[in-house]
Amino acid sequence: MKQIAFLAVLAAVAVALPLVIGENPYIIGILISVLMMAALSSAWNILGGYAGQYSFGHAAYFGAGAYTTLILLTLYNLNPLFCIAVGIVVASIIALITGSIVFRLRGHYFGLASIAVAEVVLLSVLNFNFTGGAQGILLTDVALWDLDLNSKTPFYYGMLLVLVVTLSITAYLRRSKTGYYLQAIREDQDAAASLGINISFYKNKALLISAALTSVLGSLYGLYIRFIDTSAVLDLRLSIEIILTAIIGGVGTLWGPVIGALLLVPLAEMLRSNLLGDVLIKAGLVSETSGVGLFLKGSLANAHVLVYGIITVLCILYLPKGILGLFRRNK
Amino acid sequence: MSFLQPLISGTLTGGVYALAGIGMSLVFGVMNISNFAHGDLMMLGMYLAFFAFTLLHIDPYISLVLIIPISFLFGYMMERIFINKVIHHPHQNQILLTIGLGLIMSNTALLAFTSDPKILTTTYSSSAFTLLGDVSVSVPLLLSFLITCAITAILYLFLSKTSTGMALRATSQNREAAQLMGINVAKMSAIAFGIGTALAATAGALIAPTYYIHPLAGHSFLLKAFTICVLGGLGSVVGAGVGGIIIGVVEAMSSTYLSSDWKDVIVFVIFLAVLLLRPQGLFGKKGGQ
Repeated sequence: MKQIAFLAVLAAVAVALPLVIGENPYIIGILISVLMMAALSSAWNILGGYAGQYSFGHAAYFGAGAYTTLILLTLYNLNPLFCIAVGIVVASIIALITGSIVFRLRGHYFGLASIAVAEVVLLSVLNFNFTGGAQGILLTDVALWDLDLNSKTPFYYGMLLVLVVTLSITAYLRRSKTGYYLQAIREDQDAAASLGINISFYKNKALLISAALTSVLGSLYGLYIRFIDTSAVLDLRLSIEIILTAIIGGVGTLWGPVIGALLLVPLAEMLRSNLLGDVLIKAGLVSETSGVGLFLKGSLANAHVLVYGIITVLCILYLPKGILGLFRRNK
Repeated sequence: MSFLQPLISGTLTGGVYALAGIGMSLVFGVMNISNFAHGDLMMLGMYLAFFAFTLLHIDPYISLVLIIPISFLFGYMMERIFINKVIHHPHQNQILLTIGLGLIMSNTALLAFTSDPKILTTTYSSSAFTLLGDVSVSVPLLLSFLITCAITAILYLFLSKTSTGMALRATSQNREAAQLMGINVAKMSAIAFGIGTALAATAGALIAPTYYIHPLAGHSFLLKAFTICVLGGLGSVVGAGVGGIIIGVVEAMSSTYLSSDWKDVIVFVIFLAVLLLRPQGLFGKKGGQ
């Protein structure tokens, strides 16, 4: 009962948030990023957290959604929802190909192969003409019903919807037969197989669900930003950010990815917009014209990936079960 | 164009790839860890060679005398401080830790050296001689190849003749049994990681005179090194050597007969094909997965 009340309050806050903060595009932008990363990481968590199959190539599914949607829109100007659906199909095909190659293997190979597939997708997109190659794709105009797609609010609710769907699927899965099978596979693949669980079927099922959700998020991102290129939607860095978000919050937990996103995305934004440097300079701790001040202003904005690296290392060494792992009893 | 041209230039480049692949394979064999920082260690080797050349005016091939011990120590310390903490963790934690270390290295390099690519130009950087009428052989690539052969031979002798080398191979074959025989496996891991780092840095230094030096250059080499290791069989040092040459030749052939844009795609398709058809690689033990 307590739980339901808590969820209701959370949902009410999430829905009302854009109304409260009004049309501040900067804040809404950050919130959209938080929701997107939370949803991406939750979708990854279905495969990585519950089935124990760490995919290092989820950018491929994100990119598949984004590229399919934007290519169909710019070429044929179809209904965006239809484009998103086609994106799901494309991502699912890539997922099925990946799954059929890599799920017969285990250990190191799955991670390596998932990177290789993502890299083949990235390089193919770069080399084909219809994908815009290195220049990417620019979407000039898009319309759906009478939504104002020039404002950010529809995308806030879009991302929120996908996040809720992803969390609901996760919550349902982990108490379902499939979920138990996946966790059995994660804990001991051989034992699971000996009990008659069709391992590759259930791994593929988890991968398909995860890839389909990821591609919807890619499509939404493409429609929201209206410009995509390979470094924005297909890069290995994106795949790693998705995993890192889940790790920090707690892999294999329902809320871990959300907590990870709430922490990491604003942190990255602070570094990117150089908030830290500004604060230090304004507080008079560092003079703006001194060497340190110039370094903070000039270079620290590029340092958010460095910070991600440091957080990854610290997290693996000292907090391998994530923040939620701290509160759970040792099993 | 002669068929021999891509075959020869591919073999020469492949030799340097092989060196990077051997380093990764050794680490994998002894420690059972996929080192995702390997490419960035190669990048460090490139910068070491660059600064030895511009600041100390040492020829990149001579500077190996400095680069090998420095990078060995660097790798040794890195294992002692970070990697050995996760040696009994699940694979994914090991992978993430090395990814994190790689990100720290590449982005520190990005802050320190900026993203402008550096070029190391020696007097012989673009010199070449002609063989068999129309096959041109690049002098720096040939030198790199010869040094690679020498280093591989030394490594082979070290692994097969010295007691440390034999202890390394024993650890690689069976960690628990090696420990029971009184081998200090933790020390072997650090030594293996040191050698792996030294080989990566050497490969980086050898490729520096013919390549753009950039903080993020490690990324493409990392994936190539993995392809080489999987092709040769993860953990197989001989396999990595052969795999490196094969990948070098395949790249050169696809640049010549298809287009240079697609050569990386072909390399990854080979990688996936190996996983599909022969996951233990060319020289791997069957059932090793």
